[in-house]
Amino acid sequence: MNWSVIGAIVRKDLTAVRRSKSVMLPMLLVPTLLLVVLPLVLALVASHAGTDGIQHFLDNMPGKLADPIAKLPQRQQMVVLVNGYLLAPLFLIVPLMVSAVLAADAFAGEKERRTMEGLLHLPVSDRELYVAKMLVSFVPAVTISWIGFLIFAFVSNAAAWPVMHRVFIPTGTWMVMIVWMTPAVAALGLGIMVRVSARARTTQEANQLGGTVILPIIVLTLGQATGLLLAPLPVALAAGAIMWILALWLNKRGAARFSRDRLAMTM
Amino acid sequence: MNSLAIRTAHLRRSFPTGLAVDDLDLEVPRGEVLALLGPNGAGKTTTVRLLNGVLRPDAGTSSVLGFDPATEGDQLRHRTGVLTENAGLDDRLTARENVDFTARMRGMRKDEAKRRTANLLTQFGLAERADHPVQGMSTGERKRVALARAMIHDPELLFLDEPTSGLDPTATKAVIELVQSLARERGRTIVLCTHFLGEAGQVADRIAVLHRGRLRASGRPSDLARELFPGLGVSLDLGRPATDSELMSLCAIRNVHEACATATGATVRVDDRGDVPHLVSHLVGQHWTIFGATPQTVTLEDVYFAIEARVLAGDDPATDHRIVTTAAALGELDGCAA
Repeated sequence: MNWSVIGAIVRKDLTAVRRSKSVMLPMLLVPTLLLVVLPLVLALVASHAGTDGIQHFLDNMPGKLADPIAKLPQRQQMVVLVNGYLLAPLFLIVPLMVSAVLAADAFAGEKERRTMEGLLHLPVSDRELYVAKMLVSFVPAVTISWIGFLIFAFVSNAAAWPVMHRVFIPTGTWMVMIVWMTPAVAALGLGIMVRVSARARTTQEANQLGGTVILPIIVLTLGQATGLLLAPLPVALAAGAIMWILALWLNKRGAARFSRDRLAMTM
Repeated sequence: MNSLAIRTAHLRRSFPTGLAVDDLDLEVPRGEVLALLGPNGAGKTTTVRLLNGVLRPDAGTSSVLGFDPATEGDQLRHRTGVLTENAGLDDRLTARENVDFTARMRGMRKDEAKRRTANLLTQFGLAERADHPVQGMSTGERKRVALARAMIHDPELLFLDEPTSGLDPTATKAVIELVQSLARERGRTIVLCTHFLGEAGQVADRIAVLHRGRLRASGRPSDLARELFPGLGVSLDLGRPATDSELMSLCAIRNVHEACATATGATVRVDDRGDVPHLVSHLVGQHWTIFGATPQTVTLEDVYFAIEARVLAGDDPATDHRIVTTAAALGELDGCAA
């Protein structure tokens, strides 16, 4: 594997992406809304909201899942419930969305801009090309998610400080989600979208095709993640591991089936 | 070292839409310029993709610079350069970034890539525009950036797909001179896909005509011209169209094989240049008024359309219409009409 060639493709693509408003806007707008605006508003509202409805909500939660929240003082329960737990699934949308946007652009975008043929005539092996395109999507997805999380944690803690008087995010499970599950979710999105992108002729087509596959996964992921934050740490780790295995399997299969011949046929 | 840069045997590639290249046998000696001619959809781009290891053949074999493109594509592509028809530049990058990226992909170190990029952009008259995004550039500028990119590593074999389309006459002349100098002075092998027959006639040592994926003719233009247009056409200026009786008289002259009336006289076909003085003296002796006798030049355009006409006249898969001329010719195309 020639890493200098892979590095050249990654650098070139990231430079191009930085200059592309149509790619950058959704990549920055959605994380800003989900990780800054929404937690800020919810933290402020939750800090000043009454505590009437929350007990009913906690009573309806299965088993001992509500215990970590129920043990808190009543004024803190709403803040922790909303920003500490309910927003978590939304956080996983960020790596999924960023990786999907970039992966859609990876091959379909090259075809659309008619730059693919030039790339295929360069001395880069099929495997190197695939890895480079994976990294172009994976690295920014994880980086943006992690930076977004730092901002989210800061905003949530700052907005809830008058009620909490302490840093309540990240919790241990949040850390599992950030460090362990976020890259897995990004890789999972890539495993699907890079393959879709290689088959599609335009970015729009890739997004449409990917959407029909990725949307159900998002729903599934969100459903799992909601419970996982309240579940014991080993369960969250195991769920993350399953996600990694799935992502690695998808990507390995994708790499094995990827060839410039197939790519050239869709140009 | 193998004297052939390219050799293919029975190369075939099909797509779900049909056969793109069929039973292609091609030989290109090192240092030659081969013009791949043919209408849209003839299989020219597919041929280039097969020869550079982008596509794998369904059948047949090929050797390019000693490599098998199907299995040694990466090694081969280190030694080839390609100018694609649409330039294929990333609009979001500057001219310098586009060329520099290719240099890095070709394994050049950062400083070497920078130096080569700057030199080539200057050579192509783009020094002032080097740091402008490609998006705002004219077609000619884009083509020059793409050419710089294709030549960044001084490749042994260049595939040029429509290198002059969209260029103004000055830029076209510069590209033709560049191709000529690369081949003649630097011994580079060039495969030129083009629709511009005049351009091909100026630079190509040999031509290969593809039609519906099959090689219909290949060889030196002069050889093909001789084969397709035996003898020499001579245009006689009589100041008026020749009459039927005059045409019959012309045909009765020694070594005149054909005579047709034209708006200003007649065109006759004789064996060669040596027959022209006899023809003229004979007609003068018969008291004909002749204002001029001009040997006709067979252009590459004439050759190409004659081949195409033959193909269209009987395009039957069972019939082989190939006119393959491999004999080395001494004269160039203009020579056969001189």
